[in-house]
Amino acid sequence: MSKRNRIVLGVNGGALGGHLGGWRHPDSFPSTAMRLERMIEIAKLGESGKLDLMFLADGNGVRQMDKPTLFAANSPSDRPSVFEPVTLFSALSQHTKHIGFVATATTSYEEPFMIARKFASLDHLSGGRAAWNLVTTQYIEDAKNFGRDEHMGREERYERARESLDVVRALWDSWATDAFVQDKETGQYLDPSRVRLTNHRGKHFKVKGPLNVARTPQGQPVVFMAGQSDAGKDLAAYGGEGLFGTASNKEEAQREYADIKDRMPQYGRPPEALCIMPGLSCYVGRSTAEADELYEELQSLISPALGLSYLSKIVGFDVTGEKLDAPMPQQRKESLGGTAIGRSVLDMAARDKLSVRGTYERVLPSMAGNMVKGTPAQVVDFMEDWYHGKACDGFILSMPVQPRSLRAFVELVVPELERRGLRTPEYPGKTLRENMGLAQPPDPFLQQPLARQAD
Amino acid sequence: MMKIACIPNLVGGHLGGWRHEDAFDRPVMNLEAFVEMSQIAERGKFDAVFLADGNGVRDMHIPALFAANHPSARPAFFEPTTLLSAVAMVTKHVGVVATATSTFDEPYMVARRFASMDHISKGRAGWNLVTASNAGDALNFGRSEQPREDRYARAQEFYEVVAKLWDSWAPDAFPQDKATGQYLDPARVRHIDHKGTHFTVKGPLNIAQTPQGRPVVFMAGQSEPGMELAARYADGLFGAGTTKQDCIDAYANIKGRMARYGRAPEHLKILPGVSIYVAPTAAEAEEFYEELQSLISPALGVHYLSKMLVHDLDGLPLDGPLPTNLPEETLGGSSLRRYILDMAKRDNLTLRQTYERTLPALGGPVFKGTPTQVADEMEDWWRSKACDGFTLLQPVQPRGLKDFVDLVVPELQRRGIFRKEYESTTLRGHLGLPDAPSVWNTQAAAERGAA
Repeated sequence: MSKRNRIVLGVNGGALGGHLGGWRHPDSFPSTAMRLERMIEIAKLGESGKLDLMFLADGNGVRQMDKPTLFAANSPSDRPSVFEPVTLFSALSQHTKHIGFVATATTSYEEPFMIARKFASLDHLSGGRAAWNLVTTQYIEDAKNFGRDEHMGREERYERARESLDVVRALWDSWATDAFVQDKETGQYLDPSRVRLTNHRGKHFKVKGPLNVARTPQGQPVVFMAGQSDAGKDLAAYGGEGLFGTASNKEEAQREYADIKDRMPQYGRPPEALCIMPGLSCYVGRSTAEADELYEELQSLISPALGLSYLSKIVGFDVTGEKLDAPMPQQRKESLGGTAIGRSVLDMAARDKLSVRGTYERVLPSMAGNMVKGTPAQVVDFMEDWYHGKACDGFILSMPVQPRSLRAFVELVVPELERRGLRTPEYPGKTLRENMGLAQPPDPFLQQPLARQAD
Repeated sequence: MMKIACIPNLVGGHLGGWRHEDAFDRPVMNLEAFVEMSQIAERGKFDAVFLADGNGVRDMHIPALFAANHPSARPAFFEPTTLLSAVAMVTKHVGVVATATSTFDEPYMVARRFASMDHISKGRAGWNLVTASNAGDALNFGRSEQPREDRYARAQEFYEVVAKLWDSWAPDAFPQDKATGQYLDPARVRHIDHKGTHFTVKGPLNIAQTPQGRPVVFMAGQSEPGMELAARYADGLFGAGTTKQDCIDAYANIKGRMARYGRAPEHLKILPGVSIYVAPTAAEAEEFYEELQSLISPALGVHYLSKMLVHDLDGLPLDGPLPTNLPEETLGGSSLRRYILDMAKRDNLTLRQTYERTLPALGGPVFKGTPTQVADEMEDWWRSKACDGFTLLQPVQPRGLKDFVDLVVPELQRRGIFRKEYESTTLRGHLGLPDAPSVWNTQAAAERGAA
């Protein structure tokens, strides 16, 4: 039975804003590079709007150095200089009480023991608000920071990811909830019968365990994914509890939603055990004119050279030499960097017969994802339509200009969501898991009787 | 000035410490307790709090010891860079030093976590580079145990990669100019293009240069390759010996090696670990010491000593001598092991006497007595060039740390050998270390010379 009766909402925590020109807008933060105060402000703003979670994408490399125009301008998904997300959220946990923290870590370069440890630690530090966004990483440049000349193929990446997930979860299950007796009188600190070795021996990992962190407040941190490929959808159905969806229109989102949820029973999981949250860029104003004005202001901050460079990055091949008003080329390269987002942009350009300029102008405001623009009522209409239309369980909001856009969302959209009963005026639970309507994973030791209860 | 760091281990530094009535009642995963400890350290104007670490649960094969939990076992604790990032939010001055191993981690990941922590703490981060804290940890990373020589060769290269990654960006690389749209200056970042025996790392790091230029690097090695590596690269060194004379010798030895790397001796701070039993009177300090000893059963004492000596002593007579046939070198055995064996032989100790001497300080030195006596001993070591300061272990927490800060710190301040106020905002500043070298400074100097 689903405990979820509200739209789940997260905010993309990037301080740069979600539009390529966002950081240049007068209402954006004056500086963002390594500014902890900005991140604290975003977390607190999100919490003031009772948002369920703050999401941070991540990578292990500096990107676009071969495209100086784009590199110098800094696109929101490149992150040339950002905090390591788990240390950052550990810091933010001391400034907030409710909002959840979704940090990204890759199974391609990180050891399962390290992943299990840092997220378990964050779950304890935050009192049950941690989530791991499992990614496999598709940037070749990142591979070169880990002694590899090329990235592993998709199949191998996903196979490794699944094994890593199994190991991490087994490590999180190392200790019983009541393993640490801490009895000063008898001198028994822990109960050796309430911990177990992991003893994993697989194709990619050999991990003996147990983890050196006690069972966490959420039992296990929540696991997010973002896969769009067939392998990614399957992994989400197998083990994801949150999914950063990438469908770029409602029909596609509905198909994906049904597809992934249909795959879950074969893994013995009810559909409500996974919360699908597509990205949504939100341009809200008190009037439609105010929303339009923000949108136009941002578009005007992008030069054609930068627009072309950004479009090249999104579609995965070079369009910087193309004529602005020529039709968008449909060249497709099946490369490792070719993403579902790139393919959906090309599909959109073909369907709507867009020029090169027309394509990048459509892509910029939403990073090729979904976008909603208008009054609070219009924004909520959009969200409600998707939610009731089984296109999603919630959204991860991208804010074009920070902190203006998040503040506007909290002040204008959240009250409207509450008025319609799509959100509650208070957090429903204490942990991220409770707020997302996810079940607490059972403690495997609770099936066994306590040894010391025998006497 | 004397430098002081502490190990704010919540179970205390004595095997029976957590059972004492003045100890924290629930130390496991207790963030509030750790915050309290860090704030006491800051009230005492300490240079840093320091977290030892490992990547595994230990001593599961010795159930009695495992169940009783000894201070260096850490069966359930926070990952240190996440914990200290949180602690940085509730402190302003005290340095935060976390341990990470060069044996199981990747240089890119370590460079990132510590650079991130340096930005979060606004210049108070330190990395304690260890090679492998425990042989069994390897089994959590699909590896077999590595011989020491390999571990140190890897550690050296690991450090070099991390240092280069920290130097990826020039300090002025991020103009963030809204008017022109230039967020960063592509000319002010470089690939590191490292290709070595153990690592191939292209770089750059995805974090701007940190407030300290580089986080402060600590090491703890007392082996020959460990001392050499410290002389070459470390800014700080935990532990250098277990007696005053040991420490004097090690101090001269390590500092004497620095010149060959073009380094001044004062650019490495040596802070041996010492256990403090302090009370207003000598009798009270003695009583405290005895109380703790009484909390350890002989069975547990023997198990503990077995662990320290990497040799099973179970079943041997308590009042007989230690076996004489213990092997000289063991994998996982440390200089502490050699020290305990030497001490037992020198002073003709029984098994029981040996564990009773080992318990109060994990085999390290003990300063016990009134505030004046403890301060005398600290000052004597410091003036004798046995150290630049200390890493304090307290038998019972938070009592031990509170007592030190309330009783000993004022005495050290009165003598003018420890700071009354923080004179700096960074750990590098507290320790009196020079600015971190940077290729960007060298480049700027060359350009100024050419102009």
